[in-house]
Amino acid sequence: MSGATGTTRTIVREHEAELLVQKAEVVAEDVVALTLVSPAGETLPSWSPGAHIDLVLADDLVRQYSLCSSPGEDGAWRIGVLRTPDSRGGSQRVHDTLTEGATVTIRGPRNHFPLVATSTYLFIAGGIGITPMLPMIAQAEAAGANWRLLYGGRHRASMAFLPELAQYGDRVTVVPQDEAGFPDLDGLLGTPQEGTLVYCCGPEGLLSAVEAKCARWPSGSLHLERFSAKPQEISDVLDESFELVLQQTGVSVTVPPDVSVFQAALDAGANVLGSCMEGICGTCETEVVEGDVDHRDSVLNEEERAANEFMMICVSRCKSKRLVLDI
Amino acid sequence: MSRTSASIRRRGTTYPVNTWYVIATKDEVSRQPLARRALETPVVIYRTQDGQAVALEDRDAHRPYPLSLGRVDGDTIVSGYSGFAYAPDGACVHVPTQPHVPIGARVRAFPVVEQDGLVWAWLGVAPLASRRNPPRTPWLAEDGWTTLGDEWDTQANLLLLHENFADITHVPVVDPFIAPPVLAGEPPALEVEVSETAVSFSRDYPPARLTGWHADALGLPSDTEHAQREEGAFVTPGLWADAWHVYVDGGSPHTFRFTHAVTPVSARQTRHVWRVSRNFAPGPEVSERLLPIFTAYYRRVQQILETMQQVIDSDGPRDEVSVNSDAAAQQVRRIVNRLITEERMA
Repeated sequence: MSGATGTTRTIVREHEAELLVQKAEVVAEDVVALTLVSPAGETLPSWSPGAHIDLVLADDLVRQYSLCSSPGEDGAWRIGVLRTPDSRGGSQRVHDTLTEGATVTIRGPRNHFPLVATSTYLFIAGGIGITPMLPMIAQAEAAGANWRLLYGGRHRASMAFLPELAQYGDRVTVVPQDEAGFPDLDGLLGTPQEGTLVYCCGPEGLLSAVEAKCARWPSGSLHLERFSAKPQEISDVLDESFELVLQQTGVSVTVPPDVSVFQAALDAGANVLGSCMEGICGTCETEVVEGDVDHRDSVLNEEERAANEFMMICVSRCKSKRLVLDI
Repeated sequence: MSRTSASIRRRGTTYPVNTWYVIATKDEVSRQPLARRALETPVVIYRTQDGQAVALEDRDAHRPYPLSLGRVDGDTIVSGYSGFAYAPDGACVHVPTQPHVPIGARVRAFPVVEQDGLVWAWLGVAPLASRRNPPRTPWLAEDGWTTLGDEWDTQANLLLLHENFADITHVPVVDPFIAPPVLAGEPPALEVEVSETAVSFSRDYPPARLTGWHADALGLPSDTEHAQREEGAFVTPGLWADAWHVYVDGGSPHTFRFTHAVTPVSARQTRHVWRVSRNFAPGPEVSERLLPIFTAYYRRVQQILETMQQVIDSDGPRDEVSVNSDAAAQQVRRIVNRLITEERMA
């Protein structure tokens, strides 16, 4: 119903559903692969390689996991979950409670690691970072692209999905650390290659190394997905306040140093979506109309940051005095 | 001075390629070749002897002459100029003038899926087709539904059509006769749900009168009040589906389902197949009364969207003021913009 102010409520939310764990299979040391289906046998929303979902494990415990099945399989999703000593026990809870027959609330899918069309790909996965790569390489293979996968891990028994990667033969290089040391990133990335896109997912150490090696590559070549927020350089400059204009309603508010753009927009009555609030999940991506954005997220690559078309309003701010958003 | 946002700048000039689009309806495809144009590509569609729909590029590999001007022979289509015959996979299998077929002679063959009365084709990167399924529209084929509709080309970009479907609050302005009375005032809360590739929304209306033609079709007195629910979904770039439910006496709802299969012919021209299905009053006389009402409305929409495209073409894109009820259209624009960017970036 319309409120006393004469404005009509509009509620924008992400797709949310209660799914059934149809199968829970240990696929490597400390890695469980869950197959999720609709309890009523309904078709699940479509997605594309690189997409992830939220598992809502408790009201305040939400974890993101990449979909690692095939987008063509629309009756079931698969995710791979590594048991990690994370402080709040998200993955531990998945391992302990999401057994066959259990149900779990999911949100999404959403995708901030999309596979952009090109002729040649280098995929680099570390440990459980293999999960988004599985649908990506299947799509690259189907599209007839030239591709290679470098897959590093501690030792073979800890590396998930090796049997299904065997079908790709020598396109896949498996590098267990106890047998072969660290992956040869210099050999792979030492010479920048025009038209080749690099996709990397894994622990922060691998991502930073790949990022450094790709510094001389053409802008837009490197696509990364992080498990956690990128470490930010501590700035000795304090955040400043700026003006936020919501283009669609014309509302203008001041964003003080200690308030996020997301919170300011929400308080000003905008329909904004948010999930992780750490700049990693991409849910709050918002179109920028005007303003010099101070990007602090772990989603956008350098080229996307420079384009200044979108920003993650949960963590990013504005360097200029005025930020205009298309909301 | 603000610059125009990126998704507005791209609207009107491009469209997603790697997705399923409706190339024809079931009844249009026969043993006679059917010529269509989609995604700036000429396509010929016909059926094999066992009824399988085939879609090939509509251009003889020998000379620039449409295969659709030739004839279907067995499972092949034979050029009406060169006499070259092409199999359903696009391979040339016979030429009249020499015993062996020129090596590598072929035309593009497009993956096809026929389901629920619609023939879907994939005109993007062909092997990717097997990694997606076209969306289902069971109400077009199941018993219990009566369907009417029409199809034509609209001289406007695909996204302009989707944005129109995404917000029906314009209906009382455009066509007061067809508009449900509940749309006259300020609408109730709009609930929008988004996922990576789809947007759906719903609105629940408190009991209200139906418009005259609607009550008439349902066989209800025009002065009774009924709860109503509106649903809409951007399912894929090629399909918009929505519904209008009327709740009568606590039973299951009397429902209209609206199917809009939209296929870019070019960046500025879109094939629009529209269907109105109902699960009540199946008689042909009701269809005869409804068809001109919906035709008039969709023709009016066609004119308006063509005018919008002309404005964009002559004066360029410009930022637009949005209101609450645009929330779904905004999400659709965001998804389509992303699909286009990913396909074209490299």
